[in-house]
Amino acid sequence: MPADSCGASLHKVAAVTGIAHTDWIEDYRRVRAGDKPFDSYGYGALAFSRAMADAGISRSDIDGLIVGPTTAYERMGEVLDLNPRWGDQADAVTAVAKACMAIATGMAEVVALVYGNDQRSAAIQYGGPEAMGGDAFLSYVYHSPWGLTSQGALYALMFRRYMALTGTQERDLGQVSVAQRAWASRNPHALMQKRITLDDYLAAPYIAEPLHLFDYCLINDGGVALIVAEASRARAIATKSGKPLVFVDGIGRADLNREATSLGPRLLEFYRPAQHLAARQVYEMAGVGPEDVDALLVYDSFSCHILFALEGFGYCGEGEAGSFIARTGIGPGGQLPVNTGGGHLSESYMQGWNHQIEAVRQIRGEGGDRQVPDCRHVHYVSDVAGKVVSLMYGA
Amino acid sequence: MTSHPRLFSPYDEPMWSSIAAREMRLQRCAGCSAFRYPPGPACPRCLGVEASWEPIAGSGRVLSWTTFHRQYLSAYPPPHSVVAVKLDEGPIMIGSVKPEHVAALAVDRAVRMVYVAHPDGYLLPAFEPA
Ligand SMILES: [Zn+2]
Repeated sequence: MPADSCGASLHKVAAVTGIAHTDWIEDYRRVRAGDKPFDSYGYGALAFSRAMADAGISRSDIDGLIVGPTTAYERMGEVLDLNPRWGDQADAVTAVAKACMAIATGMAEVVALVYGNDQRSAAIQYGGPEAMGGDAFLSYVYHSPWGLTSQGALYALMFRRYMALTGTQERDLGQVSVAQRAWASRNPHALMQKRITLDDYLAAPYIAEPLHLFDYCLINDGGVALIVAEASRARAIATKSGKPLVFVDGIGRADLNREATSLGPRLLEFYRPAQHLAARQVYEMAGVGPEDVDALLVYDSFSCHILFALEGFGYCGEGEAGSFIARTGIGPGGQLPVNTGGGHLSESYMQGWNHQIEAVRQIRGEGGDRQVPDCRHVHYVSDVAGKVVSLMYGA
Repeated sequence: MTSHPRLFSPYDEPMWSSIAAREMRLQRCAGCSAFRYPPGPACPRCLGVEASWEPIAGSGRVLSWTTFHRQYLSAYPPPHSVVAVKLDEGPIMIGSVKPEHVAALAVDRAVRMVYVAHPDGYLLPAFEPA
Protein backbone atom coordinates (compact mmCIF):
# COMPACT_ATOMS: atom_id res chain seq x y z
CA MET A 1 0.00 0.00 0.00
CA PRO A 2 1.26 3.50 -0.73
CA ALA A 3 0.27 4.42 2.81
CA ASP A 4 3.07 2.20 4.12
CA SER A 5 5.70 3.77 1.94
CA CYS A 6 4.87 7.40 2.72
CA GLY A 7 7.75 7.28 5.19
CA ALA A 8 8.82 9.90 7.66
CA SER A 9 10.22 12.26 5.06
CA LEU A 10 8.20 15.27 6.16
CA HIS A 11 8.54 14.67 9.91
CA LYS A 12 9.78 17.90 11.52
CA VAL A 13 11.02 19.17 8.16
CA ALA A 14 9.29 22.47 8.86
CA ALA A 15 7.93 24.47 11.76
CA VAL A 16 5.42 27.25 12.23
CA THR A 17 7.24 30.37 13.36
CA GLY A 18 4.55 33.00 13.06
CA ILE A 19 0.78 33.12 13.42
CA ALA A 20 -1.80 35.89 13.28
CA HIS A 21 -5.40 36.73 12.53
CA THR A 22 -7.53 39.81 12.12
CA ASP A 23 -9.81 41.05 14.88
CA TRP A 24 -12.70 38.73 14.10
CA ILE A 25 -15.02 40.29 16.68
CA GLU A 26 -14.51 43.81 15.33
CA ASP A 27 -14.71 42.54 11.72
CA TYR A 28 -18.02 40.86 12.56
CA ARG A 29 -19.42 43.94 14.32
CA ARG A 30 -18.55 46.24 11.42
CA VAL A 31 -19.90 43.92 8.74
CA ARG A 32 -23.16 43.41 10.64
CA ALA A 33 -23.44 47.17 10.92
CA GLY A 34 -23.39 47.33 7.13
CA ASP A 35 -19.76 48.36 6.85
CA LYS A 36 -17.33 46.73 4.41
CA PRO A 37 -13.96 47.47 5.98
CA PHE A 38 -11.93 45.12 3.74
CA ASP A 39 -12.20 42.62 0.95
CA SER A 40 -10.59 39.17 1.15
CA TYR A 41 -7.23 40.59 0.07
CA GLY A 42 -7.35 43.25 2.75
CA TYR A 43 -8.06 40.74 5.51
CA GLY A 44 -5.21 38.60 4.19
CA ALA A 45 -2.80 41.53 4.09
CA LEU A 46 -3.61 42.51 7.69
CA ALA A 47 -3.09 38.98 8.95
CA PHE A 48 0.12 38.64 6.94
CA SER A 49 1.68 41.76 8.48
CA ARG A 50 0.83 40.55 11.95
CA ALA A 51 2.21 37.04 11.28
CA MET A 52 5.53 38.53 10.14
CA ALA A 53 5.61 40.61 13.31
CA ASP A 54 4.84 37.51 15.40
CA ALA A 55 7.77 35.68 13.78
CA GLY A 56 10.01 38.72 13.87
CA ILE A 57 10.82 38.53 10.16
CA SER A 58 10.39 40.82 7.17
CA ARG A 59 9.26 40.29 3.60
CA SER A 60 12.83 39.82 2.40
CA ASP A 61 12.97 36.60 4.47
CA ILE A 62 10.03 35.08 2.60
CA ASP A 63 10.56 33.04 -0.57
CA GLY A 64 7.29 31.11 -0.78
CA LEU A 65 3.63 32.13 -0.77
CA ILE A 66 0.51 30.00 -0.50
CA VAL A 67 -2.84 31.77 -0.50
CA GLY A 68 -6.23 30.43 0.51
CA PRO A 69 -8.88 29.34 -1.99
CA THR A 70 -10.83 32.58 -1.61
CA THR A 71 -8.20 34.80 -3.24
CA ALA A 72 -6.23 34.57 -6.48
CA TYR A 73 -2.58 33.71 -5.89
CA GLU A 74 -1.25 36.26 -8.35
CA ARG A 75 -3.28 39.19 -7.09
CA MET A 76 -2.55 38.42 -3.44
CA GLY A 77 1.15 38.32 -4.31
CA GLU A 78 0.81 41.78 -5.80
CA VAL A 79 -1.12 43.14 -2.82
CA LEU A 80 1.52 41.79 -0.43
CA ASP A 81 4.32 42.94 -2.78
CA LEU A 82 5.99 39.53 -2.67
CA ASN A 83 8.06 38.01 -5.47
CA PRO A 84 8.41 34.43 -4.22
CA ARG A 85 10.38 31.71 -5.98
CA TRP A 86 7.59 29.25 -5.27
CA GLY A 87 3.85 29.68 -4.83
CA ASP A 88 0.48 27.99 -4.74
CA GLN A 89 -3.16 28.22 -3.72
CA ALA A 90 -4.74 25.79 -1.27
CA ASP A 91 -7.22 25.27 1.53
CA ALA A 92 -5.88 25.53 5.09
CA VAL A 93 -4.67 22.02 5.78
CA THR A 94 -3.41 21.45 2.24
CA ALA A 95 -1.56 24.76 2.42
CA VAL A 96 0.40 23.55 5.44
CA ALA A 97 1.10 20.23 3.71
CA LYS A 98 2.21 21.96 0.51
CA ALA A 99 4.48 24.33 2.44
CA CYS A 100 6.19 21.32 4.06
CA MET A 101 6.56 19.64 0.67
CA ALA A 102 8.04 22.77 -0.92
CA ILE A 103 10.45 23.13 1.97
CA ALA A 104 11.42 19.45 1.94
CA THR A 105 12.26 19.62 -1.76
CA GLY A 106 14.21 22.85 -1.48
CA MET A 107 11.76 24.90 -3.51
CA ALA A 108 11.34 27.37 -0.65
CA GLU A 109 12.64 27.97 2.86
CA VAL A 110 10.24 30.43 4.47
CA VAL A 111 6.66 30.21 3.24
CA ALA A 112 3.90 32.66 4.05
CA LEU A 113 0.40 31.14 4.20
CA VAL A 114 -2.21 33.86 3.76
CA TYR A 115 -5.99 33.62 3.94
CA GLY A 116 -8.61 36.31 3.72
CA ASN A 117 -12.36 35.89 3.35
CA ASP A 118 -15.12 38.46 2.95
CA GLN A 119 -17.78 35.74 2.69
CA ARG A 120 -20.29 37.48 4.97
CA SER A 121 -20.08 40.99 3.58
CA ALA A 122 -19.98 39.61 0.03
CA ALA A 123 -23.02 37.40 0.80
CA ILE A 124 -21.32 34.28 -0.57
CA GLN A 125 -23.83 31.55 -1.31
CA TYR A 126 -23.14 28.14 0.19
CA GLY A 127 -26.43 26.78 -1.15
CA GLY A 128 -28.41 26.99 -4.38
CA PRO A 129 -27.69 26.06 -8.00
CA GLU A 130 -24.79 28.53 -8.18
CA ALA A 131 -23.32 27.63 -4.78
CA MET A 132 -19.67 28.20 -3.96
CA GLY A 133 -17.58 25.12 -4.64
CA GLY A 134 -20.10 23.56 -7.00
CA ASP A 135 -17.61 23.30 -9.84
CA ALA A 136 -15.31 21.14 -7.70
CA PHE A 137 -17.95 19.33 -5.68
CA LEU A 138 -20.92 18.71 -7.97
CA SER A 139 -22.93 17.36 -5.03
CA TYR A 140 -23.15 20.94 -3.68
CA VAL A 141 -25.33 21.99 -6.63
CA TYR A 142 -26.56 18.92 -8.47
CA HIS A 143 -29.60 18.25 -6.28
CA SER A 144 -30.86 21.84 -6.33
CA PRO A 145 -33.97 20.96 -8.42
CA TRP A 146 -35.19 19.05 -5.36
CA GLY A 147 -34.29 21.91 -3.02
CA LEU A 148 -31.30 20.04 -1.59
CA THR A 149 -28.84 22.85 -1.93
CA SER A 150 -26.97 23.42 1.27
CA GLN A 151 -23.97 21.58 2.65
CA GLY A 152 -25.85 21.47 5.95
CA ALA A 153 -28.49 19.31 4.32
CA LEU A 154 -25.83 16.92 3.04
CA TYR A 155 -24.54 16.52 6.59
CA ALA A 156 -28.11 16.19 7.84
CA LEU A 157 -28.58 13.22 5.49
CA MET A 158 -25.31 11.74 6.68
CA PHE A 159 -26.10 12.20 10.36
CA ARG A 160 -29.68 10.93 10.01
CA ARG A 161 -28.41 7.66 8.59
CA TYR A 162 -25.69 7.47 11.22
CA MET A 163 -28.35 7.92 13.93
CA ALA A 164 -30.46 5.13 12.46
CA LEU A 165 -27.54 2.72 12.19
CA THR A 166 -25.93 3.43 15.57
CA GLY A 167 -28.75 4.52 17.87
CA THR A 168 -27.05 7.88 18.40
CA GLN A 169 -29.46 10.62 19.53
CA GLU A 170 -29.64 14.33 18.85
CA ARG A 171 -28.59 15.01 22.44
CA ASP A 172 -25.42 12.98 21.85
CA LEU A 173 -24.53 15.31 19.01
CA GLY A 174 -25.50 18.33 21.09
CA GLN A 175 -22.59 17.65 23.42
CA VAL A 176 -20.27 18.93 20.69
CA SER A 177 -21.86 22.37 20.36
CA VAL A 178 -22.11 22.75 24.14
CA ALA A 179 -18.45 21.80 24.66
CA GLN A 180 -17.14 24.03 21.89
CA ARG A 181 -19.13 26.98 23.19
CA ALA A 182 -17.61 26.35 26.62
CA TRP A 183 -14.16 26.57 25.02
CA ALA A 184 -15.17 29.72 23.17
CA SER A 185 -16.32 31.30 26.44
CA ARG A 186 -12.64 31.21 27.46
CA ASN A 187 -11.39 32.59 24.15
CA PRO A 188 -11.27 36.40 23.88
CA HIS A 189 -11.16 36.14 20.06
CA ALA A 190 -14.29 33.98 19.72
CA LEU A 191 -17.39 35.50 18.14
CA MET A 192 -19.80 33.49 20.30
CA GLN A 193 -18.70 33.46 23.94
CA LYS A 194 -22.05 32.98 25.69
CA ARG A 195 -22.25 29.43 27.02
CA ILE A 196 -25.14 27.20 26.02
CA THR A 197 -26.67 24.15 27.67
CA LEU A 198 -27.89 20.93 26.13
CA ASP A 199 -31.44 22.22 26.65
CA ASP A 200 -30.56 25.40 24.74
CA TYR A 201 -29.19 23.22 21.96
CA LEU A 202 -32.29 21.04 21.74
CA ALA A 203 -34.65 24.03 21.99
CA ALA A 204 -32.97 25.83 19.09
CA PRO A 205 -34.77 25.39 15.77
CA TYR A 206 -33.95 22.74 13.26
CA ILE A 207 -32.36 24.03 10.06
CA ALA A 208 -32.06 20.80 8.07
CA GLU A 209 -33.48 18.20 10.45
CA PRO A 210 -31.96 16.46 12.38
CA LEU A 211 -29.40 19.30 12.58
CA HIS A 212 -30.22 22.23 14.85
CA LEU A 213 -29.05 25.83 14.64
CA PHE A 214 -26.04 25.24 16.91
CA ASP A 215 -24.79 22.40 14.70
CA TYR A 216 -24.01 24.97 12.01
CA CYS A 217 -20.84 27.02 11.62
CA LEU A 218 -20.78 30.80 11.74
CA ILE A 219 -20.39 32.95 8.63
CA ASN A 220 -18.02 35.88 9.14
CA ASP A 221 -15.28 37.93 7.50
CA GLY A 222 -11.65 37.86 8.51
CA GLY A 223 -8.11 36.76 7.80
CA VAL A 224 -5.46 34.36 9.07
CA ALA A 225 -1.77 33.98 8.25
CA LEU A 226 1.05 31.64 9.20
CA ILE A 227 4.78 31.61 8.55
CA VAL A 228 6.16 28.11 7.96
CA ALA A 229 9.94 27.74 7.80
CA GLU A 230 12.51 25.03 7.15
CA ALA A 231 13.60 23.54 10.50
CA SER A 232 17.03 25.15 10.81
CA ARG A 233 15.75 28.51 9.60
CA ALA A 234 12.87 28.12 12.01
CA ARG A 235 15.25 27.60 14.92
CA ALA A 236 17.12 30.77 14.02
CA ILE A 237 13.85 32.71 13.72
CA ALA A 238 12.62 31.33 17.05
CA THR A 239 15.86 32.22 18.80
CA LYS A 240 15.31 35.85 17.83
CA SER A 241 11.55 35.98 18.36
CA GLY A 242 11.52 33.99 21.59
CA LYS A 243 8.46 32.09 20.41
CA PRO A 244 8.45 28.30 20.97
CA LEU A 245 8.74 26.28 17.77
CA VAL A 246 5.81 24.18 16.63
CA PHE A 247 6.76 21.47 14.15
CA VAL A 248 4.66 19.65 11.62
CA ASP A 249 5.28 16.08 12.76
CA GLY A 250 3.02 14.21 10.39
CA ILE A 251 0.73 14.54 7.37
CA GLY A 252 -1.86 12.12 6.04
CA ARG A 253 -4.28 12.33 3.17
CA ALA A 254 -6.78 10.17 1.34
CA ASP A 255 -9.64 11.16 -0.98
CA LEU A 256 -12.92 9.48 -1.87
CA ASN A 257 -14.13 10.69 -5.25
CA ARG A 258 -16.04 7.65 -6.48
CA GLU A 259 -19.80 8.37 -6.57
CA ALA A 260 -19.26 11.60 -4.67
CA THR A 261 -22.12 13.47 -6.39
CA SER A 262 -24.64 10.75 -5.61
CA LEU A 263 -23.32 10.80 -2.01
CA GLY A 264 -22.06 7.20 -1.96
CA PRO A 265 -18.95 7.66 0.20
CA ARG A 266 -20.85 10.01 2.48
CA LEU A 267 -23.95 7.90 3.09
CA LEU A 268 -22.64 4.37 2.68
CA GLU A 269 -19.21 4.74 4.29
CA PHE A 270 -19.25 7.97 6.33
CA TYR A 271 -15.86 8.61 4.64
CA ARG A 272 -14.30 5.99 6.90
CA PRO A 273 -12.01 4.30 4.33
CA ALA A 274 -10.29 7.63 3.64
CA GLN A 275 -10.09 8.47 7.33
CA HIS A 276 -8.46 5.13 8.09
CA LEU A 277 -5.82 5.63 5.38
CA ALA A 278 -5.09 9.21 6.39
CA ALA A 279 -4.96 8.18 10.05
CA ARG A 280 -2.39 5.52 9.41
CA GLN A 281 -0.24 7.92 7.42
CA VAL A 282 -0.36 10.77 9.90
CA TYR A 283 0.23 8.60 12.96
CA GLU A 284 3.11 6.71 11.33
CA MET A 285 4.83 9.86 10.13
CA ALA A 286 4.38 11.59 13.47
CA GLY A 287 5.33 8.54 15.50
CA VAL A 288 2.39 9.05 17.83
CA GLY A 289 -1.13 7.69 18.10
CA PRO A 290 -4.45 8.96 19.38
CA GLU A 291 -3.45 8.06 22.94
CA ASP A 292 -0.60 10.61 22.73
CA VAL A 293 -2.74 13.49 21.50
CA ASP A 294 -3.22 16.38 23.93
CA ALA A 295 -5.82 18.24 21.84
CA LEU A 296 -7.81 17.33 18.75
CA LEU A 297 -8.90 20.02 16.33
CA VAL A 298 -11.49 19.13 13.71
CA TYR A 299 -12.75 21.03 10.67
CA ASP A 300 -16.28 21.66 11.89
CA SER A 301 -18.50 23.26 9.30
CA PHE A 302 -21.05 21.10 11.12
CA SER A 303 -20.85 19.55 14.57
CA CYS A 304 -21.19 15.97 13.30
CA HIS A 305 -17.69 16.21 11.79
CA ILE A 306 -16.40 15.66 15.32
CA LEU A 307 -18.21 12.34 15.75
CA PHE A 308 -16.99 11.06 12.41
CA ALA A 309 -13.42 12.21 13.12
CA LEU A 310 -13.33 10.54 16.55
CA GLU A 311 -14.36 7.24 14.99
CA GLY A 312 -12.43 7.47 11.74
CA PHE A 313 -9.16 8.39 13.45
CA GLY A 314 -9.31 5.68 16.08
CA TYR A 315 -10.24 7.64 19.19
CA CYS A 316 -13.22 5.33 19.69
CA GLY A 317 -15.06 2.53 17.92
CA GLU A 318 -17.59 2.97 15.13
CA GLY A 319 -20.95 4.18 16.41
CA GLU A 320 -19.49 4.94 19.84
CA ALA A 321 -18.66 8.64 19.50
CA GLY A 322 -21.68 9.82 21.48
CA SER A 323 -20.93 7.67 24.51
CA PHE A 324 -17.20 8.34 24.13
CA ILE A 325 -17.79 12.08 24.37
CA ALA A 326 -20.02 11.65 27.41
CA ARG A 327 -17.46 9.43 29.13
CA THR A 328 -14.27 11.23 28.13
CA GLY A 329 -15.26 14.88 27.95
CA ILE A 330 -14.16 17.06 25.04
CA GLY A 331 -14.75 20.45 26.66
CA PRO A 332 -12.67 22.34 29.23
CA GLY A 333 -11.45 19.87 31.87
CA GLY A 334 -12.24 16.89 29.63
CA GLN A 335 -9.76 14.15 28.92
CA LEU A 336 -9.69 14.87 25.18
CA PRO A 337 -9.93 18.61 24.51
CA VAL A 338 -11.55 19.11 21.09
CA ASN A 339 -11.62 22.41 19.16
CA THR A 340 -10.18 24.34 22.08
CA GLY A 341 -10.75 27.74 20.48
CA GLY A 342 -14.44 27.07 19.85
CA GLY A 343 -13.95 26.05 16.23
CA HIS A 344 -16.12 27.11 13.34
CA LEU A 345 -19.21 26.70 15.47
CA SER A 346 -18.27 29.35 18.03
CA GLU A 347 -14.89 30.99 17.37
CA SER A 348 -14.73 32.02 13.71
CA TYR A 349 -15.45 30.40 10.35
CA MET A 350 -12.03 30.72 8.82
CA GLN A 351 -12.37 27.46 6.88
CA GLY A 352 -9.81 25.53 8.89
CA TRP A 353 -7.27 28.36 9.10
CA ASN A 354 -8.23 29.32 12.65
CA HIS A 355 -7.65 25.72 13.72
CA GLN A 356 -4.05 25.88 12.49
CA ILE A 357 -3.19 28.88 14.62
CA GLU A 358 -5.07 27.42 17.59
CA ALA A 359 -2.86 24.32 17.32
CA VAL A 360 0.23 26.52 17.41
CA ARG A 361 -1.05 28.58 20.33
CA GLN A 362 -1.76 25.49 22.41
CA ILE A 363 1.69 24.01 21.86
CA ARG A 364 3.33 27.38 22.48
CA GLY A 365 1.42 27.66 25.74
CA GLU A 366 -0.37 30.82 24.59
CA GLY A 367 -3.87 29.43 25.19
CA GLY A 368 -4.66 31.68 28.14
CA ASP A 369 -7.78 30.59 30.00
CA ARG A 370 -8.26 27.72 27.58
CA GLN A 371 -4.69 26.41 27.68
CA VAL A 372 -4.45 22.61 27.65
CA PRO A 373 -1.87 21.66 30.31
CA ASP A 374 1.48 20.35 29.02
CA CYS A 375 0.24 20.38 25.44
CA ARG A 376 2.80 18.70 23.17
CA HIS A 377 0.79 17.06 20.38
CA VAL A 378 -2.15 18.64 18.60
CA HIS A 379 -3.92 16.58 15.95
CA TYR A 380 -5.87 18.27 13.16
CA VAL A 381 -8.45 16.47 11.06
CA SER A 382 -10.14 17.91 8.00
CA ASP A 383 -12.78 16.08 6.04
CA VAL A 384 -14.42 18.21 3.40
CA ALA A 385 -16.63 16.26 1.00
CA GLY A 386 -14.50 13.14 1.17
CA LYS A 387 -11.12 14.89 0.96
CA VAL A 388 -9.57 13.76 4.22
CA VAL A 389 -6.38 15.52 5.28
CA SER A 390 -4.77 15.34 8.69
CA LEU A 391 -1.80 16.98 10.42
CA MET A 392 0.02 16.31 13.64
CA TYR A 393 1.65 19.32 15.22
CA GLY A 394 4.37 18.69 17.78
CA ALA A 395 6.58 20.61 20.16
CA MET B 1 -41.79 27.49 -18.02
CA THR B 2 -38.99 25.14 -18.95
CA SER B 3 -38.78 21.42 -19.66
CA HIS B 4 -35.82 20.87 -17.40
CA PRO B 5 -33.74 22.60 -14.67
CA ARG B 6 -30.21 23.89 -15.15
CA LEU B 7 -28.07 21.30 -16.93
CA PHE B 8 -24.74 20.63 -15.25
CA SER B 9 -23.36 18.75 -18.25
CA PRO B 10 -24.46 17.91 -21.81
CA TYR B 11 -25.18 14.37 -20.56
CA ASP B 12 -28.01 15.60 -18.33
CA GLU B 13 -30.38 16.56 -21.15
CA PRO B 14 -31.52 13.05 -22.24
CA MET B 15 -32.19 12.17 -18.61
CA TRP B 16 -34.42 15.20 -18.08
CA SER B 17 -36.23 14.47 -21.35
CA SER B 18 -36.97 10.96 -20.08
CA ILE B 19 -38.22 12.38 -16.79
CA ALA B 20 -40.48 14.76 -18.72
CA ALA B 21 -41.89 11.66 -20.45
CA ARG B 22 -42.48 10.05 -17.02
CA GLU B 23 -40.12 7.22 -17.84
CA MET B 24 -36.79 8.05 -16.26
CA ARG B 25 -33.80 6.61 -18.06
CA LEU B 26 -30.14 6.42 -17.08
CA GLN B 27 -27.04 5.63 -19.07
CA ARG B 28 -26.13 1.96 -19.06
CA CYS B 29 -22.56 1.06 -20.00
CA ALA B 30 -22.30 -1.00 -23.19
CA GLY B 31 -19.14 -2.64 -21.87
CA CYS B 32 -19.99 -3.68 -18.32
CA SER B 33 -23.77 -3.05 -18.10
CA ALA B 34 -23.45 -0.73 -15.08
CA PHE B 35 -25.99 2.05 -14.68
CA ARG B 36 -24.53 5.41 -13.77
CA TYR B 37 -25.81 8.56 -12.10
CA PRO B 38 -25.40 11.42 -12.53
CA PRO B 39 -25.07 11.09 -16.31
CA GLY B 40 -21.50 11.51 -17.48
CA PRO B 41 -19.01 11.04 -20.29
CA ALA B 42 -17.62 7.66 -19.27
CA CYS B 43 -18.44 4.63 -17.15
CA PRO B 44 -16.77 5.10 -13.73
CA ARG B 45 -16.37 1.34 -13.47
CA CYS B 46 -14.67 0.50 -16.79
CA LEU B 47 -14.12 3.94 -18.42
CA GLY B 48 -16.11 2.80 -21.47
CA VAL B 49 -17.71 5.67 -23.35
CA GLU B 50 -20.40 3.69 -25.18
CA ALA B 51 -23.74 3.67 -23.37
CA SER B 52 -27.44 3.39 -24.03
CA TRP B 53 -30.28 5.17 -22.24
CA GLU B 54 -32.30 2.50 -20.44
CA PRO B 55 -35.46 2.92 -18.36
CA ILE B 56 -35.08 2.33 -14.64
CA ALA B 57 -37.62 0.44 -12.55
CA GLY B 58 -38.14 3.34 -10.15
CA SER B 59 -37.84 1.07 -7.14
CA GLY B 60 -35.28 1.35 -4.39
CA ARG B 61 -34.60 1.57 -0.69
CA VAL B 62 -34.22 4.53 1.65
CA LEU B 63 -30.71 5.45 2.74
CA SER B 64 -31.58 8.67 4.56
CA TRP B 65 -33.74 11.78 4.51
CA THR B 66 -33.83 15.34 5.81
CA THR B 67 -36.47 17.99 6.35
CA PHE B 68 -35.74 21.67 5.70
CA HIS B 69 -37.21 23.97 8.31
CA ARG B 70 -35.88 27.11 6.67
CA GLN B 71 -36.74 28.43 3.23
CA TYR B 72 -33.82 28.48 0.84
CA LEU B 73 -35.66 28.42 -2.50
CA SER B 74 -38.99 29.99 -3.43
CA ALA B 75 -40.22 26.67 -4.81
CA TYR B 76 -39.84 24.98 -1.45
CA PRO B 77 -41.54 26.60 1.54
CA PRO B 78 -40.74 24.70 4.76
CA PRO B 79 -41.19 22.04 5.87
CA HIS B 80 -39.79 20.41 2.76
CA SER B 81 -38.26 16.94 2.74
CA VAL B 82 -35.94 15.04 0.46
CA VAL B 83 -34.92 11.41 0.56
CA ALA B 84 -31.75 9.63 -0.60
CA VAL B 85 -32.64 6.36 -2.29
CA LYS B 86 -30.46 3.47 -3.44
CA LEU B 87 -32.07 2.47 -6.71
CA ASP B 88 -32.37 -1.22 -7.49
CA GLU B 89 -30.13 -0.53 -10.51
CA GLY B 90 -27.32 0.57 -8.15
CA PRO B 91 -26.99 4.34 -8.22
CA ILE B 92 -28.08 6.59 -5.36
CA MET B 93 -30.39 9.47 -6.18
CA ILE B 94 -32.17 12.26 -4.35
CA GLY B 95 -35.90 12.79 -4.66
CA SER B 96 -38.59 14.85 -3.02
CA VAL B 97 -40.98 13.27 -0.57
CA LYS B 98 -44.40 14.66 0.38
CA PRO B 99 -44.97 15.71 3.99
CA GLU B 100 -47.58 13.00 4.55
CA HIS B 101 -45.01 10.31 3.72
CA VAL B 102 -42.17 11.52 5.93
CA ALA B 103 -43.35 9.70 9.06
CA ALA B 104 -43.22 6.39 7.17
CA LEU B 105 -39.57 6.82 6.15
CA ALA B 106 -37.00 4.50 7.65
CA VAL B 107 -33.59 3.23 6.59
CA ASP B 108 -34.02 0.36 4.10
CA ARG B 109 -37.73 1.12 3.62
CA ALA B 110 -38.81 0.22 0.07
CA VAL B 111 -39.94 3.21 -2.01
CA ARG B 112 -41.10 3.81 -5.56
CA MET B 113 -40.57 6.71 -7.89
CA VAL B 114 -43.38 9.07 -8.82
CA TYR B 115 -43.27 12.29 -10.81
CA VAL B 116 -44.22 15.66 -9.36
CA ALA B 117 -44.42 19.11 -10.91
CA HIS B 118 -41.82 21.75 -10.04
CA PRO B 119 -43.20 25.33 -10.01
CA ASP B 120 -40.77 26.23 -12.79
CA GLY B 121 -42.67 23.92 -15.11
CA TYR B 122 -40.67 20.72 -15.30
CA LEU B 123 -41.33 17.28 -13.84
CA LEU B 124 -39.20 15.98 -11.00
CA PRO B 125 -38.68 12.45 -9.69
CA ALA B 126 -40.07 12.00 -6.18
CA PHE B 127 -40.44 8.99 -3.93
CA GLU B 128 -43.21 7.53 -1.81
CA PRO B 129 -43.43 4.37 0.29
CA ALA B 130 -43.88 1.31 -1.91
ZN1 LIG C 1 -18.66 0.14 -17.72
